[in-house]
Amino acid sequence: MSDNAFKRLICLGCGFSYDEALGLPGHGIAAGTRWADIPESWVCPDCGTPKALFEMVEIGYAKTPPILRFAA
Amino acid sequence: MTQSFLLRADERGFTKILSTGATGAYVGGHPDAFVTRYSSFNFHEYQSGRPGFGRIRVFGEEAFHSPGCSYNMHPHHNFIICAFVLGGTLTHINTLGRIDALRAGDYYAFSAGSGGLHEELNLGAEPMEAIYLWLLPDHLLLPPAYGQGHFDEAAGRNRITPLVGDGALAIPQDAKVSRLLSDGPGTYAYRPRSPGHGVYAFVLDGSLACDGTWLGRRDSKGIWDADKIALQTGPGTTDALLVETIL
Repeated sequence: MSDNAFKRLICLGCGFSYDEALGLPGHGIAAGTRWADIPESWVCPDCGTPKALFEMVEIGYAKTPPILRFAA
Repeated sequence: MTQSFLLRADERGFTKILSTGATGAYVGGHPDAFVTRYSSFNFHEYQSGRPGFGRIRVFGEEAFHSPGCSYNMHPHHNFIICAFVLGGTLTHINTLGRIDALRAGDYYAFSAGSGGLHEELNLGAEPMEAIYLWLLPDHLLLPPAYGQGHFDEAAGRNRITPLVGDGALAIPQDAKVSRLLSDGPGTYAYRPRSPGHGVYAFVLDGSLACDGTWLGRRDSKGIWDADKIALQTGPGTTDALLVETIL
């Protein structure tokens, strides 16, 4: 994997995942924002775990489609 | 050449979390309730131990003290969260639509996937004691899933019984949890699925020789690069959890 590939990180306090490719636009972090460019004071939006307690993971996204049910 | 790490009961991280003060939003049941947690691996404020083992990131022995003691409703993603109840009653509410009461021998596996919330409560006066195990999943943002099981002591006596993974309660990870319960001295062999799998053995009670090391109550050992793990139980009751994980 090239050094320029976008990384994914998971919060070790709750499992919230940050994907550099996606950012968190709803939290003011643009898509493509590198982990290193997020301030060290940042915390997990779901549980408040400090940025330093996220772990980089190389795990792919689920391929299972969502279960969708519609009224007739 | 077999490799291992040893973690004695008193070498784990200990924390007591109050239902008052700074942790009052985290732990419910104020003012008397509190949670005690012994962490085998780094978790929350305990960061001076091992970071995990294979896909294991959390292994905690927890007790919820006083009626109403609870982890208030909180979110999770991704992690596969298992709880094995040892005593008391755990009331478990989650956004997969379940409200369950789990007692000694009961366990659940909650694969949080793309997201869910849960709340864990002790509604009774007797402390609720449980082992919490968190595993990384093999894919991110899976559809959330929840399953429950029960370890039957009579059927599980003097054998290694799979609880989670493999043919038991399915989880989205190459990992497995088994329980060894014996009522006297005996020998057992545990064979990891491949040379790339390790085993974390945790003694709930009694005495267990694990690849030559005698472990007592709440001692544990992680073993890898072993194609067979020799287990020997001591006199009286021995009760142990064996967590196998890809490395």
